[in-house]
Amino acid sequence: MNLASYRPAKLFDELVDDHGSIRSYYRSIAEKLERLRSEELQQKLRSLELLFLRQGITFTVYGDEQGTERVFPFDPFPRIIPHSEWEHIEAGLIQRITALNLFLYDVYHEQSIIKDKVIPPEVVFGASHYRPEFVGASVPKNAYIHVCGTDLIRDSDGRYLVLEDNGRCPSGVSYVLENRAAMKRVFPQLFGAHGVRPVDTYPADLLATLRHIAPRENPNPNVVLLTPGVHNSAYFEHSFLARQMSIEIVEGRDLIALDGFVYMRTTKGLRQVDVIYRRIDDDFLDPQVFRKDSCLGVAGLVDAVRRGNVALANAIGTGVADDKVTYAYVPAMIKYYLSQEPILDQVPTYLAWRDEDKKYILENLPKLVVKAANESGGYGMLIGPTASQAQLQEFRDKILAQPRNYIAQPVVNFSQHPTLVNGELEGRHVDLRPFVLWGDTVKVLPGGLTRVALKRGSLVVNSSQGGGSKDTWVLAS
Amino acid sequence: MMLSRVADHQYWMSRQMERAENLARLVRISEEMLLDDQSLGGLDAQVYWNPVLTATAMQQAFHTLYPQPRQGDAARFLTVDERNPDSILSCIRQARENARSVRDKISDEMWSEINALYMLVNSYEGAELLVRSPQSFYEKIITSSMLFAGITEATLARDEGWNFLQLGRLLERADMTSRFLDIRSQTNVTQPDAALETLQWGAVLRACSAHASYRRVYGGEINVPNVVDLLLFSHEFPRSVKHCLRRIDEVLHDISVTPTGRYSNHCEKIIGALLARLSFSGPPEVMNRGLHAYLDDLQIQLNQAGQAIFETYVLLPGEVDRHFPRGTRPEAMSDWHREQQQQQQQQ
Repeated sequence: MNLASYRPAKLFDELVDDHGSIRSYYRSIAEKLERLRSEELQQKLRSLELLFLRQGITFTVYGDEQGTERVFPFDPFPRIIPHSEWEHIEAGLIQRITALNLFLYDVYHEQSIIKDKVIPPEVVFGASHYRPEFVGASVPKNAYIHVCGTDLIRDSDGRYLVLEDNGRCPSGVSYVLENRAAMKRVFPQLFGAHGVRPVDTYPADLLATLRHIAPRENPNPNVVLLTPGVHNSAYFEHSFLARQMSIEIVEGRDLIALDGFVYMRTTKGLRQVDVIYRRIDDDFLDPQVFRKDSCLGVAGLVDAVRRGNVALANAIGTGVADDKVTYAYVPAMIKYYLSQEPILDQVPTYLAWRDEDKKYILENLPKLVVKAANESGGYGMLIGPTASQAQLQEFRDKILAQPRNYIAQPVVNFSQHPTLVNGELEGRHVDLRPFVLWGDTVKVLPGGLTRVALKRGSLVVNSSQGGGSKDTWVLAS
Repeated sequence: MMLSRVADHQYWMSRQMERAENLARLVRISEEMLLDDQSLGGLDAQVYWNPVLTATAMQQAFHTLYPQPRQGDAARFLTVDERNPDSILSCIRQARENARSVRDKISDEMWSEINALYMLVNSYEGAELLVRSPQSFYEKIITSSMLFAGITEATLARDEGWNFLQLGRLLERADMTSRFLDIRSQTNVTQPDAALETLQWGAVLRACSAHASYRRVYGGEINVPNVVDLLLFSHEFPRSVKHCLRRIDEVLHDISVTPTGRYSNHCEKIIGALLARLSFSGPPEVMNRGLHAYLDDLQIQLNQAGQAIFETYVLLPGEVDRHFPRGTRPEAMSDWHREQQQQQQQQ
């Protein structure tokens, strides 16, 4: 691998500092990578891709009838996060999930944050994932988000900024574990004496988190993972996690609710289920309560949840917390609930439902990134500087029609990381998604998923839109 | 104890794989025979394929899709036509889909094998191989299926899942062996030619990998009663209907933990009755009754056994209301269901 020809990013480059020298914590790996012969590297990568394909470590691309399965492209140059930087990120993430869980408890109970005029009522009640029917409903341990995936980017000064919180069904953690396994398998020599913090305790930690919310402190609960099924893009992950945790992976049709309890159908009759790690949306959970046409849910599930006979992770209604309009108020939440300053900064956000913001957005559309408040996966997004006139007009109309549904942010040219492209190292934009577990204690998986936009200059890192990923190393000291 | 749906997937995974293998055996031998037939001035291609399609219950589907069949259409329909839900390719796709649903219950090696076969038959290389050397293409499928069975044998715990996997494989094998016999039961009537008959029954034996076993037991001369004896009644030959039924009987008792000789549910009774019939009869009874009629009856019983397994272990008591034709999946997933699976936001 030839580092000499690498041209660092003009803004923040993860590998090279402002003076053009390689950052200290990257030096050792840079030396090792330089010694790798290009052909050997290419050959290893090809065998790795074949391995992923054969093992079915794939995601599904929708839009064609067969639902093409693709390997999530893997880049061999790991991203390194030094110990001190990680401590800062970790503290910020713990602070954030704490505030979000307090916020969720509050908006489904006293609603004091609204009464105290810290957040306008329309933000909460206008969020499409707010569930008014769950006001007053109690949840185990008063916790709503048990698994959170928070997206971070680094701005031109190298500051970590929160881009969004994913508090419904965050995905991608299986790639963190598979990427690490792949790195160890193909490049064992790279790890050397780096002191890379391990990631493989995640499944056990997740299981502990799930067992923690078992009804009536049942010490031996039956925990299951509820998947939409094999046609879902993240099915591999569902299957992977279920296997790692040695729990059943179930579909809605495997479950049945009777007299306020949930059971799974086995060859030896019915068996009670205590905790459900669900990977389907609120809307589809229970056709008696939400969408009547749902084929994926369980009629009577919500009733069982309300009676406290079965626990859901994440709880129903967390979508109000990761709504992109709510996002703008998270710093205020942190101050309100915790009396603390936010440890992690976030991207300035204009809310189209505020008139002065809307005016600014419409006037500056080509300079901004516009996002639909409730979309994810890189869908429903406008990147102003690269958008066509038609796209700009389309979003202008959408914003005017549904201002509550849109937010805008300045384009953050987030950091780049050297990435292998056609055998050469080139800078590509990367983000970071750490995973946070809220159980008996709060645990942050060291590192998380580094996603990389493989198209030159692209800021979109989603797997469905041409993104890849890297192994992420958090150094122990 | 296992999820009913998982038991169902295990059962269908191995059943579809076995079906793909047997169809590959069937098409391979049929194509080979067709060459012989034609050189002997025998039947024309279309007439030739008719009994094959009839015996596998695909004739109607074939004529709907190919109202005016041309050379090669039948083999294409049986092998790669995705519109045919029972083509080899469709079977492999369904086997793999079932495997994907129980990915966490089977060994990595099992998954790799089934996935590799799926990728091969859907690849350019696979398509090219089928054109260049159809025999090698079918060989690959047969070998892969047997490899899958071997890997399963060597890597899967002998739990309930294993038992359901065995059930699917054995029921399909018994069913397909009876269908191999049935093909000739139909051409027989119009074919008095002794040389051709030897050739054709020899082909049935080869399709079942039974040639060597046959020679060892009955010597070199091939006649119908002996072929029937081997493929229906043999105690020892692993593809004979009776051998499969005996294993099914054991597996069913293992699942329900019922002592041999007692019966705790409907599927055990059907298999038990069938086994008794096969134990107290032989080729003369079959020939008296008429081979086709006998096989037809057998297939109906096997189908009922499959249905009974489904009703006993997959459905809840209140749900037993529908009867499903041979080998069809009880609840084909609706497009709407699939769409909803895709819609779920994985953030």
